[in-house]
Amino acid sequence: MLKHILKIILALFTLPLLAQVPAPAPPQESPIALVGGTAHIGNGEVIENAVIGFEEGKLTIVASASSVNDEQLSGYEQIDVSGKHLYPGFILPNTNLGLVEINAVRATVDDEETGGLNPNVRSIIAYNTDSEAIPTMRFNGILYAQITPEGDRIPGTSSIVGLDAWNWEDAVIKTDDAIHLNWPRRYAREYDYATFSVNRVKSKTYAEDVQAIEMLMEDAKAYIEKGVGNNLKLEAMKGLFDGSTAMHVHADAAQEIVESVKVLKAYGIQKIVLVEAEEAIHVADFLSEHEIPVVISNVHRLPDKPEDAIDLPYRMPSMLMQEGVEVALMYRGVTNARNLPFYAGTAATYGLSKEEALQCITLNAAKILGVDDMIGSLEVGKHASILVSSGDALDMKTNIMEHVFYEGRKINLEGMQQRLYKKYKEKYESQQN
Amino acid sequence: MEDFFIIFKYLLITDFIRQPTIIMKRILQLVLIFNLMYGGLMAQEDIYPANDVRDNRPNIYLFENATIFIDHQTKIENASMLVEDGFITARGTDLSAPAGAIKVDLKGKFIYPSFIDLYSSYGLPEAKSSSFSYSSKEIITPEREGAFYVNDAIKADYNASEHFTSDEEVAEKLRKLGFGTVMTTYRDGLARGTSALVTLGKGWDNELMLLTKAANQLSFSKGSSKQTYPISIMGFMAVLRQTYYDAQWYATAKNESFTDNTLEAWIQNQSLPQFFDAPSWKNVLRADKIGDEFGVQYVVRGGGDEYQRIEEIKAANVPLIIPVNYPEAFDVEDPLDAFNVSLADMKHWEMAPANAAKLAQAGIAFSFTADGLKDQSDFLKNVRKAIKYGLSETDALKALTATPANLLNMDTQIGSLRNGAVANFIITSGNIFEEDAIIYENWIQGKPYILEDKNARDASGYYTLKVDEDTYPLEVSGKAGKNKFKLVVNDTTKVEADAIVEGELINMSYVLDKEDNMRTRLSGWFTENGMEGKGQLPNGSWVAWSASYDSAMVATKEEGAEEEGPEINTSITYPFLPFGLEEKPTTQAYLIKNATVWTNEEEGIVEETDVLVRDGKIAQIGQNLTASGATEIDGTGKHLTSGVIDEHTHIALDGVNDVATISAMVRMEDVVDSEDINIYRQLSGGVTAAQCLHGSANPVGGQSALIKFRWGNAPEDMLIKGADGFIKFALGENVKRSRNSRSIRYPQTRMGVEQVFMDGFTRAKAYDEAWANYNALTAREQAITPMPRKDLMLETMAEIINKERFISCHSYVQSEINMLMHVAEKFDFNVNTFTHILEGYKVADKMAAHGAAGSTFSDWWNYKFEVRYAIPYNAALMTMAGVTTAINSDDAEMARRLNQEAAKSIKYGGMSEEEAWKMVTLNPAKMLHLDDRMGSIKVGKDADLVLWTDNPLSIYAKAEKTMVDGIIYFDRTQEEEKRAKVEEERAILIQKMQAAKKGGSPVRMPSRSLEQFWHCNDLFFGHLAGEEK
Repeated sequence: MLKHILKIILALFTLPLLAQVPAPAPPQESPIALVGGTAHIGNGEVIENAVIGFEEGKLTIVASASSVNDEQLSGYEQIDVSGKHLYPGFILPNTNLGLVEINAVRATVDDEETGGLNPNVRSIIAYNTDSEAIPTMRFNGILYAQITPEGDRIPGTSSIVGLDAWNWEDAVIKTDDAIHLNWPRRYAREYDYATFSVNRVKSKTYAEDVQAIEMLMEDAKAYIEKGVGNNLKLEAMKGLFDGSTAMHVHADAAQEIVESVKVLKAYGIQKIVLVEAEEAIHVADFLSEHEIPVVISNVHRLPDKPEDAIDLPYRMPSMLMQEGVEVALMYRGVTNARNLPFYAGTAATYGLSKEEALQCITLNAAKILGVDDMIGSLEVGKHASILVSSGDALDMKTNIMEHVFYEGRKINLEGMQQRLYKKYKEKYESQQN
Repeated sequence: MEDFFIIFKYLLITDFIRQPTIIMKRILQLVLIFNLMYGGLMAQEDIYPANDVRDNRPNIYLFENATIFIDHQTKIENASMLVEDGFITARGTDLSAPAGAIKVDLKGKFIYPSFIDLYSSYGLPEAKSSSFSYSSKEIITPEREGAFYVNDAIKADYNASEHFTSDEEVAEKLRKLGFGTVMTTYRDGLARGTSALVTLGKGWDNELMLLTKAANQLSFSKGSSKQTYPISIMGFMAVLRQTYYDAQWYATAKNESFTDNTLEAWIQNQSLPQFFDAPSWKNVLRADKIGDEFGVQYVVRGGGDEYQRIEEIKAANVPLIIPVNYPEAFDVEDPLDAFNVSLADMKHWEMAPANAAKLAQAGIAFSFTADGLKDQSDFLKNVRKAIKYGLSETDALKALTATPANLLNMDTQIGSLRNGAVANFIITSGNIFEEDAIIYENWIQGKPYILEDKNARDASGYYTLKVDEDTYPLEVSGKAGKNKFKLVVNDTTKVEADAIVEGELINMSYVLDKEDNMRTRLSGWFTENGMEGKGQLPNGSWVAWSASYDSAMVATKEEGAEEEGPEINTSITYPFLPFGLEEKPTTQAYLIKNATVWTNEEEGIVEETDVLVRDGKIAQIGQNLTASGATEIDGTGKHLTSGVIDEHTHIALDGVNDVATISAMVRMEDVVDSEDINIYRQLSGGVTAAQCLHGSANPVGGQSALIKFRWGNAPEDMLIKGADGFIKFALGENVKRSRNSRSIRYPQTRMGVEQVFMDGFTRAKAYDEAWANYNALTAREQAITPMPRKDLMLETMAEIINKERFISCHSYVQSEINMLMHVAEKFDFNVNTFTHILEGYKVADKMAAHGAAGSTFSDWWNYKFEVRYAIPYNAALMTMAGVTTAINSDDAEMARRLNQEAAKSIKYGGMSEEEAWKMVTLNPAKMLHLDDRMGSIKVGKDADLVLWTDNPLSIYAKAEKTMVDGIIYFDRTQEEEKRAKVEEERAILIQKMQAAKKGGSPVRMPSRSLEQFWHCNDLFFGHLAGEEK
C-alpha cells in the first residue's frame, strides 16, 4: 500500500519533471559495435566502412570493416550505421554553460564573482547539470565542455565536464584544469557620452596592470616555496608552477599576446593556452615557436576592423594552423555555443580540410585542455563517446544525430525544445486531420 | 536732420530692414545715401552718462598708399580709404583728406574687410547639456515652467541679444585672427532661438550689436533638456517637424484658448535667415531635407567632411559654414599599434584640408568658422592650408567676408569696404594669405585695435658690430618687428642674440662662449648708418658699442618644418570606407550561364540554366541563351538564387531607438547610414535588401526604412522607391523597460501595453475623423472653423488603421501576440508581420487565421526570460500551420549567414530545401510587399541575384557574386585586389604621417572609433564586437 502511495506521489512529481533535462543513461551493459559507417577519427584520419567497438564505456575496436573478423566482434551487439558519419564527441572550451541559465535574469547568473583576483574561485561547484541549455548542446554533438568563469583580471578556475551526468561530481572529467587570466588591454574602450561613440584608445593603466600580475606571480612563487601559509588565492596557483594547472590567458591584441606569454614564461608557468586572441595571426610565428596553442573566439563573428578582410574570422583557424599553431574553437555565449560544429564547418569552407576542421573541436581541443588521454578522438582505450550523424555533422543541413553514446551509454537527446516541438507538432497535425 | 538719421540708423540695426523685398532695399539705399551725406555729423551719441566733460573726437581717418581689397574680388592698388565716424565713406586713388582727417600712411600695406564668423557663441553663457545616465528615471512631460513648448529641447524663445555681454578676453583673441564681426548663438536645444550679430569691439554692448535677431538657429543636439524624448537624430527630426506643424496650427490664430510663448517666438523667427547646426555631411543632408519639407533653405554648419559626398551636397545646394579643424596625424611609429587607426580616419587626415577647395570647385557657397579648433590661433594657418590644397585666394577671402555677409543679407554693412559699410577692416603687412603675413591692426566700427606695430623698424641687414675693442659681423634677418639678430663669431660659429627693437631703441644681449655662459648686454639707439650705445661686459665694465650698416640682407629661406605637401595620394571612395568604390557603378547586361537556378517559382530548382540580366532586371531565363553585349558569367557547378532579404535589421542606421511610448512619428528613413561597412559584409553573404527597423524600446516604434544594399550610393538612393510604409511595434520585456529598475514609464506590464495600443488607435481614429470632417467643409466654412492640429504621431497611427502602413511587431510570448491580433481586429486591420515571434509556434494557427506572417530567429533563445521557450523548430512549426515564415537577423553578424540560418530548419523540423530557402528570400519579400519585384528569379523582377559556389543552404557555400539591380556590388574573385588596395593606401598614409611627425607636426596617439552593432533594445550605445547580447 505504502508502495502504491509512493508511486502516486512519484507520478505527481513526474509532471514537473517533464520540464527537466533527460536523465543520464544507464551504464553500458554489453559491448556494442557500430558497423559500416564513415568514421571521422578526430586526428585527421577517416575510416570508410568502419567498425567502432566499445565495451564498458571504452573504445575497443577502431578499424576498417575489412580488417575486423567475426571473432573480434563476438559478444558485440552490432548496429548497422552504413551511410552514417561517426565522430568523437565534440568538445566546447571556455563556456559558461551550466553557470548561466538566462543572462538577463541576474538570479540565474553564476559565472562572475566579484573581486579582481580569484584564482581560488572554482566553477565546478556551481555547474548545474540540470541546465536546460545542456540538452541543446548534446543535440548537436557537443559532449564535453570546459566550464569557465568570467570577470575581472583572474575570474577563477575552470573544470572540464561531460554533458551527461546527475550532478557535478558525476560530470567531472578534469577538476580545476586551468586558471583564467584576462590580460590587461593596451588599448581600452572609452565611451564618449557627447557623441555616443566608443573609441579604442591607449590605456593609461596598462603598465600598472601588468605589474600587478607580475607581483601576483612573484608572491605566488614565494608562497609556494615557503610551503606553508593560509592564503587561498596563492594556494590555488600552486599547480601553475608544476604544470598540473594550465594558465589560460585571454588576450586579443598582438602585443598583449606576446607580452602575456613572455611574462608568464618568465615566472615559470608551465602550460599556457591563449584564448580568444583576435590578433593572434600577426604573431603566429611567435606562438608557434613558443608552442602556445590558441582557443579561437567565435568563428562566426565580424572582422574586428572595417579594413580587415571580410572573411578574416572564418579564415583564422586555417591561417593559424598553417603557421603551425594548434587551434581549438569556442563560442562564449550559451545561446550560440551549440553551433560549435558549424564553426568548424565554416573553418573548413575557408581553408581547412574537413578533417582538420573537425580536429579543432575534438582532438586539438582535448590536447589543449590536457584530456586527450581520455577524449577527443576515436582511438582504442579512450572514452566511447561517439556521435552517429545521418550526414556531415559540420553542416547544419546534415548534422542530425541518430545515436549518441557517452562513455558507451546511449544518451537521450530530447530536451525541453524537442518536447515542445512534439507537443505543438501534434497539435497542428491534429488540426490538419 | 540728425534725428532723422538716428531713426534710420535704428532701422539699420533691426531685422525689419532685412526683409528681402524691393521696398526694403530702397530704404537701405536711402540709409546709405544718408550715411554718405551726413556721416561727418555722426558723432558719438551722448546717450550714456559720463563722469567727465564730453570728449567726442573727430574720428576721421584717411588711409593712404595702401593696397585695398574693397571686396574679395576688387583690389585697388596705391589707394586711399576714408573712414568717418565708424563708416567707410570713400575709397579711391585720388582722395583728398577732408578737414580734420588724420592721415595714415600705409605704403606697402594691405587693407582687407575684416572677417566674419557665423558660428560663434561669443559673449554668451556656456550651454550645458543634460547629463547622461543609462538607468535614469524617464521624464515624460516638460520640466520648464511657464507657457512654453511641450518639448524642452525647443527653445525658440531664446534671444541671444538679451544675454550677450562682450568679453574682451575672447574678443582680443578673435581680433588677432582678423575677425571683426561674429554671429553668436546660444548652443542649447534643437531650436536655439535667435542669434545676434555683434562686432568684436570694446565698448557699450549696445553699440557692438549690429543685429539683435540675426538668424533663427536650429540644431541636431538636444542640449540641456532633461525630457527623455527625443534621444536620437530621427527623434530630433521628428520633433522639429512637429514644431513646424504646431507653429502653422498656432499661427492660424483660431486657438485663443492656448498660449505658447515658444511657438510665438518660432513664428516670428521664421522671417529671419535660417541656420542649422549639423556638423557632418550626413547631417547636412538631413537638415536640408527638413528644410525642403517646409520650404526653408538653411545655412548649415557642416563638419568639414563634405568632400566625401560633394555631389549630394551640391545637389542640395546648401550654403555652408565649415570648420578648418583638420585632424592631426596619428603617431603610427609602431606598426602593431597602428592597427588602432582606421583607414577612413587616415584618409580624412589627408583630405580634410582640401574640403574648402572641393566645395569651391563645386560652386557651393560657404564661409569659414574658427569653431572647433583646438587652438584658435591656428585659424589663419589652416585657411592658408586650404589654399595650398587648391582653394583660390579670392574664394578664401570670399568665404571670410562676402559669403557670411550675404548669408545674413548684411552685405551692404559688413564683409566689404564699400561706401556706407561699417568700418571693420584689417591692415596687414601684405597678402594676408602668405605664410608670414602680419595683421597689424584690426579696426572695428572705426576704432583701431593695434595687434602689432605697423611702423616697426625693419633693422634687417649686414652690420659690423664693434663692442669695446672687439669686432664681429652682425646679421639681422626677418621682417619688421620680428627681426632676428646673429653674431658671426668665426667661420663656423654663429651666436643668436636676444634683441628687442622698440621704436628708436634697441636692446641686445648675447653669450659668446656657451661654455662660460657669460652674457654681454647692450642698450642703444638707431643712427643714420646703424646703431650705437652703451653696454656692460660680463665683468661689469661699461663700454661703448656700435653697429655700422654694411649692406641689405639677402633673403634666405627660413629654416623650420617643411609642411607636408598638398598632394593627395589616396582616393575618395563611396562610401568613405575600405572596399568603397571610386566611381559609382552602373548597370550592365550579364548572362549567367549553366547554373543551378533556385527560381522560387513553380519551376523550382532547375539545373544547367542561363539567366540574362538587362537594365537591372531579369530579362530571360532558359537554356543555351545568347545575348549580344552581355558579359558572360560561367555558372557551371554553381547555384544562382535571388538575393537574400532580411526582414529585420538595424545596420546602415545612425541610431535605433527613440523613447516616446508611441514613437510613430520617428522615421528610420531619416537616418539611413550609407557609410556602414556591414552593408558590404552582408553583400558578401548574399543579402541584397532589408527592412531597417526602429528598436523595441517602445510599444510603437518608428517607421521603417526599406533599403537595398546599393553599396556606395548615398543614403537617399539606398531606399526602395515606391515601397509600402512599415512601422515597428514591440511587446514584452523591452517595452516594459524591464532592465531598468528605475523606469517609471507607462507601460510597466503587458497589461499596460495593450492599453497603449488601444489608446493610440482610439485617438488616431478620432484624429482621422476630425480631419475628414474638416476637409469635407467648404472653403468658407473652413475659414471660420479651427483647423485640427496636425499630429505626426496620430497621423501615422491612422495610416495603420487605414491599411496604408503595416506593422512589423517585435514579439516573443504567446499571450501578447494573441493580444495584438485582437487589438488590430478591433480596428479592422491586420498585423502584417510578427518579428522574432519566438513563441509563434504556440499560436501559429491563430496567426495563420489572422493573416499575420512570422519572421523569426532560427535558434536564438534563453538570453532573457521571455525567450526561455524559444525553440529552433519555431520556423518549421509556423510554416506547418500555414504562416508565411521568414528567418531574420537583427544582428549584423548573423545577417551575412542567413542562408545557413535558413538551413537550420532542415535540421530542426525537417523542412524541405526549397521551403527553407524561401524563408530568406521570397517569404520576407512577401512580408515587405516586395514580392512583385523581388524574392524569386522570374522574368521582369529586379536582378537582385547571388551566385553561390555550392548549394546555398550548405555551410560550405560562399556567395561569389552579389548583384543588386543588375549591378555587381560584391565579387569574391576581386576581394584580394581590394584588400591589397586597402593595404596600399594604409602604407602610403602611414609613410605620410611619419613624415609629418618628423617634420614637426603634432600627432595624436592611435585610436579608432569602434563599430557599434545595434540590437532592438539599445538606446544610446550599440553593442561592440565580442559582446554578448
